Amino acid sequence: MTNTESLDNVVLELRRGVIVLAVLSQLNDEQYGYSLLKLLSDQGLEVDQGTLYPLLRRLEAQGLLGSVWKLEEARPRRYYVISAEGKKLLPKLKKEWAGIVSVMNGMLA
Amino acid sequence: MKLIDSYVIEVGKRLPLVKGRKDIENELRSTLEDMLEDRSQKTGKPVDEELEVELLREYGAPQKIAETYNPTPYLIGPRLFPMFLMLIKIVIAAVVLGLTIATGIQIVTQFPMTAAELFKAIGEGLLNIISASIGAFGNIALVFAVIERFTPFPDFDMGKDNQWDPTTLMKEPEPQDVKMWEPILAIVFTFIVISIFNFNRQLLSLNYGDNAMWFIGFGNFAGGKFGTIPLFSEAFFRWLPMMNTAWVAEIVLNGMLLRSGRWNVSNRLFSIGIKILQIAINVLLLTGPFILGVTVDALTATKLVDAGMAHIIVSGLQQVIPVLLGLGIFGKIIEITSAGYKAVTQKPSTSA
Repeated sequence: MTNTESLDNVVLELRRGVIVLAVLSQLNDEQYGYSLLKLLSDQGLEVDQGTLYPLLRRLEAQGLLGSVWKLEEARPRRYYVISAEGKKLLPKLKKEWAGIVSVMNGMLA
Repeated sequence: MKLIDSYVIEVGKRLPLVKGRKDIENELRSTLEDMLEDRSQKTGKPVDEELEVELLREYGAPQKIAETYNPTPYLIGPRLFPMFLMLIKIVIAAVVLGLTIATGIQIVTQFPMTAAELFKAIGEGLLNIISASIGAFGNIALVFAVIERFTPFPDFDMGKDNQWDPTTLMKEPEPQDVKMWEPILAIVFTFIVISIFNFNRQLLSLNYGDNAMWFIGFGNFAGGKFGTIPLFSEAFFRWLPMMNTAWVAEIVLNGMLLRSGRWNVSNRLFSIGIKILQIAINVLLLTGPFILGVTVDALTATKLVDAGMAHIIVSGLQQVIPVLLGLGIFGKIIEITSAGYKAVTQKPSTSA
C-alpha cells in the first residue's frame, strides 16, 4: 500500500462517522436524496452518492429517519425527514462530537 | 432517458434479494434525472445521449452502485466466522477419522482380496471421505448462513449500557455455564447422525456372512456372500423429515449455547420446544407400525436361528421397543420440567 492510499483510507474512515451526524442534522426539514447531497455540498461537505443513498436507507431501517414518496415535476421523489427517535439521538451525537473535537483540538494543538 | 432506464435495470438486476429493491430503483432513477437536468442547466448543453453517457460514466459502474446497497455481501460474517472455522475443522477431522476407520474395517473383514480389489476398496474409501467432507462442509455452511441472517446484530446501540460485567471473570463456574466442549460434541454427533440417517442408510443394517459373523453397516459386499437386514423399517423412515427438523434445531440450539456460553431463558425455552418435538416424534413412533426392520422371515433367512427362535426375538423386540420409547418420553418430560423450572427461577442478573 502506498502512502497516498493509506492517507485516502484514513480520510475515508474519518469522514464516514461524520456523515451520519451531518445527515441527521440536516433533516429537520424533509429533503430528497439529491437535494440533501447539494445541501451538504453547499456547506462544504462533499458526499459520494454511493455513500449517501445506502446510508439513508440504513438510517431509515434503524428508525432514525422516516421517508415518503412524493410526486413533483412529474418525477417521484423520496423525501427523508428525521424521526422522533432520531431527534432523541441527535443531541447525544452532537455532544459526542463536541467532545471529540475539543479532545482532538487539545491533542493536536 | 433510455440510457438511464437501462442503467437502473442493470443496478436492479444485481440486487435480486434486497428488500425494497423497487424503491432503490425508483430513487436512483429520480436522482439521475435530477442530476442530468442540473448538468444541462449548468453547462448549457441539451439533455441528450451524450450528456447521459457523461453522467453515468461519472456515477460509476452498476456493479459498484449495487454493491453499496447490499446489506450482507457475505455468507458468514466476521462475528460467526471464527466459530465456523473451528467447527469445520472439528467436523471434517471427525468425518475423515471415522470414515478412515470404517474403510479400514471394511477392508480387513473382506480379506483375503486381490491387489485390484484392495486398490478399489481404498479408492472407494477415499471418494467416500471426500464426498462426506464436502457434504459436511456444505451442511455447516448452510447452518451458519441461516444463523447469520436470522440472529440480529445491533450495530447502533447508543444509550444502552454495556451489559458485560468483567467481574463475571472472577466468579466460580455456575450451573448455567456451558462447557465449551459440550455443544461442540453435540453438534458433531448430531451431524454424524443426520448424515448416517439421510445419506448412509446402508450403515444402519445388520450384516451376516457364512461364517456367522455379525457386524453393523456396509451392506454392499461383493459377490452376494453376505446378507443384510435393515435395522429400521420403512415406517420408521417416514418420520425422518420430522427427525431432521429436531436434529437441525438441536444444532442451532448448541450454536446458540456456544455463542452465549450459558443457559438463559431464551435458549432454555428453545430447548423445551425441541424436546416437545422429540416427544411428538416418540409418540408417532410408538403408535405407528413397528419401527425395526428385523422380521421373523429375515431372521430365519440367516439360517443362524430357527423359526421358533426368530419368533421369540422379534416378539421380544416388539415389546421392548415401545417400553424404550415410553421411557424416552418420560425422560423428556422430566427434562422439560427441570428446564422450565430453571428458566423460571434463574436470576435475571446472571442470565446474560
